[in-house]
Amino acid sequence: MAAGTIVIKKPRRTAADQSFVVEIVKGLGVTFKHFFKGLNQMRPGGVRPDVTKFNYEEGIATLQYPEEKKPYARRFRGVHRLTLRPNGDVRCTACLMCSTACPAQCIWIKPAEYPVGHASRGHERFPEEFVIDELRCIFCGYCVEACPVDAIRMDTGIHMTALDDRGSFIFDKKKLMSHVSQDGDQLTANSRPEPGDAEHSGITRLKGH
Amino acid sequence: MPTFKLDGKEIAFEKGETIIKAAYKQGVEIPHYCWHPGLSVAANCRMCLVEIEPAANQRAMMLDVLVWDAQKKDYVVSKKPKLQPACQMAAAEGMVVKSETSEHVALARKNVQEFLLLNHPVDCPICDQSGECKLQDYYMSEQATPKRMRDEPNHKPKGQVFGPTIVYDAERCIACTRCIRVCEEVIGDPMLDMRERGNLYEIITSPGRQLEGHYTMMTEWVCPVGALTTSHWRHKGRVWLLKGTQSVCPGCATGCNMWVDADARENTAFRNRPRDNEAVNQYWMCDDGMLTYERVYKHRVTTAKIDGEREATAKAIEEASTIVASKGGLAVVLSAQRSVEENMVAVAIAKAAGADLYLTGKASWDGDKILRNADQNPNRAGALKAAGVESLPSVADLVKKSSSYANILVLGEDADVEDLGDLKGKKVVVLATHETSSSWLSVANVVIPIAVWAETDGTFVNAKGMAQAFKRALAPRGEVIPAWEALAKIARQAGHDTGYTKLAEVRAAAAAKGIEAPALKKQDGVAPATGTPQSTV
Repeated sequence: MAAGTIVIKKPRRTAADQSFVVEIVKGLGVTFKHFFKGLNQMRPGGVRPDVTKFNYEEGIATLQYPEEKKPYARRFRGVHRLTLRPNGDVRCTACLMCSTACPAQCIWIKPAEYPVGHASRGHERFPEEFVIDELRCIFCGYCVEACPVDAIRMDTGIHMTALDDRGSFIFDKKKLMSHVSQDGDQLTANSRPEPGDAEHSGITRLKGH
Repeated sequence: MPTFKLDGKEIAFEKGETIIKAAYKQGVEIPHYCWHPGLSVAANCRMCLVEIEPAANQRAMMLDVLVWDAQKKDYVVSKKPKLQPACQMAAAEGMVVKSETSEHVALARKNVQEFLLLNHPVDCPICDQSGECKLQDYYMSEQATPKRMRDEPNHKPKGQVFGPTIVYDAERCIACTRCIRVCEEVIGDPMLDMRERGNLYEIITSPGRQLEGHYTMMTEWVCPVGALTTSHWRHKGRVWLLKGTQSVCPGCATGCNMWVDADARENTAFRNRPRDNEAVNQYWMCDDGMLTYERVYKHRVTTAKIDGEREATAKAIEEASTIVASKGGLAVVLSAQRSVEENMVAVAIAKAAGADLYLTGKASWDGDKILRNADQNPNRAGALKAAGVESLPSVADLVKKSSSYANILVLGEDADVEDLGDLKGKKVVVLATHETSSSWLSVANVVIPIAVWAETDGTFVNAKGMAQAFKRALAPRGEVIPAWEALAKIARQAGHDTGYTKLAEVRAAAAAKGIEAPALKKQDGVAPATGTPQSTV
C-alpha cells in the first residue's frame, strides 16, 4: 500500500440498526418534545415567544389568525389617518399637495375657510370635505411625503381587506380623523401656532415696534 | 426703427420706450415685480436692475464696494458698476445692456429676492397664487438659497376683507404698489393706499372706503404675489390643476380677450383671466366679465323639454323639426348672445323656410368709458352680418306682428322685453342655455339644451366690428349639444337642408360673408403667470 493511504472500515449494521426501532423512537421523541412544548405554550396562561421574533426565538410559530394578528412593522403603509391639532381640529390645511401628488387620483378635497366668529378662525384654510377612495388607493405613500404639515399619515397599521360594499371604501373626513396610529396617537407632530392661536407671537405692528 | 443690444440680442424700440417695455414686446422677460406694461413706472422693487455699458465717450459709473476675499479671510476694496432699473431707463440707439450675462446683475437680483422673502410667511401650500407666483419663479431662477434670518419674521394681518371681491394678506405683500396704481390709473378711483414703511408697510383701503366698483378684480390680477386674492377663487383649488383656453368674454359688446381656466377632471371653469390684446382690452377686464365663467354651471338648462315634460334631446329636435316644417308662418329669432356660426345656421333655416328674421338679446346695462359697452350682447354686429343686413326687427316688433306667425324658432332664451304673454298659443321652439325668469322659456313648447360659449368653438364680432374666435374650454354638460348642430339637425329633419354638417363648413360660409376671425396662435395650454410676456395677439 502506498504511503498516506487511509483505510476505512466498512460499517456493519447491528440488529438494532437493522430493525430501525431505536431510531424511530428517537425521532418520535423529538416530535413529541416539540408537541408538548407547543401544547404547554398554547394552553391558557402559557408563555409564548414574541410574534414579531418568530425567526430568532425558540417556541411555537403558529398564530391563531384571524383571532390573533401579527402587528405590522412601524413603516408599514396602512389605511390613512388625518392627524389632529391639540384642540381637536383637523391639522390639514387643504393645500391639495397630496391630491396633486397622488398617482391614483383617489383623494378629493374641498378647501374652505372658517367663517368669521368661528373659534378656529385663525387656521386660514381647512378641508370642508376630505375623501379618500381606498379602493383606488395604491398605498404608495406619496400623500404622506407630499404633506407639508404632517396632516396625513399611513401609520394606523390597518390593512385594507374586503368590506361589505364598494361605498364602504370611500372614507370621509370624519372616519379618517377617527383613526389612530399603532401607538394609539391622534395628534400631529407639527402643531405650529398660527395667527389667531393663543400661542402665536401676534401681529408685529400692534406691539409698537 | 432704432435698436439696442440686450445680452447680445438686437431689440427694436420706439422712441421714449423703456428697456423693459421694449424687451417685453419682443417676448424677452427681464425679472420684475412692480413694473406692469399697462401701468406707470414705480421702480420700487429693484428687481429689474441691469448693467448698461458706458457710451464710447463716457466713463462707467463705478461704486466702491467691499468684497469678501476667501484667501485673505477679510473684506477687500473693489469696484462694481452702478446698475440701472430697466423699467425706468429709456432705451437709446446702440445701447449695450447686460441682463442675464452680468454677474453684478445676478448678485443684485439674488439679494433683492432675499430681502423680499425676509419677512415672507412662505405659506405657499395654502396660498392661491402658488404655482403662478413671481416670488416662487424668481426664487428658483435667481436665488435658490436657504433663508439666513433666524429671527421670527414680522407678522401682519391676514385675510383682511377689502371689499366684496378682494381679500388682502399683508404678510405676503411685497409693496410693489401695482394695485394702488391700477386703482388710480385704470379705474380712476384711488381706493387703495399704503401706510407705514420699512418692514411694517401695509396696503389699506382709503379712509371710509372699501374696494368696490366694476374693476376691483384687476387689483388681484396685477398682484405678482398672493397678497390680493379674489373671494371667488380664494381657497377653491390650485392653479396647476387648471388649463387655460383662449376665449372671448361673452359679457358685453367690447369682446375682451380672456383665458377660461377650467379643471378637466371636474369639467368646470374656475376663473377667467384677461388675455392681452392692445386693440381691444389691453390688459384688463371688468368684474362682470371676470365672473362670466359662472355661466358655465349656474342655472343651466341641461335637459330637453316638450310642453314642460322632460324628454330626450333627439325627441325634442324631432318635435322642433315638425314645428318648423308646419304651415302658418315661421319667425326665426336670431340672438346677439350667440356666436356667428350659430346665427349663420339659423339664417340658413330662415332662408330655406322663407321665414322672417328677428333679433333678440339681453337688455342694455350700465356701460362706461373704460371697457364696459352699454350693449350687453357680445355678438350683435356678428348676428347682423350673418343675416347680411344693417338692422333687424326686435322681439317687441315680433310681439306686435304676432298674428302673422304660428311657429317661432328662437336661438337663445334671452328676450329684451319683459312680457312675452302675447305669444302664448304659438308653437315656440327655444334653444336655451340658462333658466331665467322672464324669458322665452315662459312661452316655450319645445326647449332644446344648447352649449354655452365655453363649450363650443365660435366667433364673436364686437362693437368695433372685429371678429374674434374662441375655443372650446369644456365638454358640454348634461344632454347639451352645440346650438349650430341642433339647428342643422332641425333643418335637415324639417326638409330644409342647410348643407352644414361640420363647424368648419359653417365657418367657411361665414368667411365667404366676410366674417373671419384671425386664427388664434397656438399657445401653451398651461396658463402663463401674471405679467409674463405673452403674445399680444
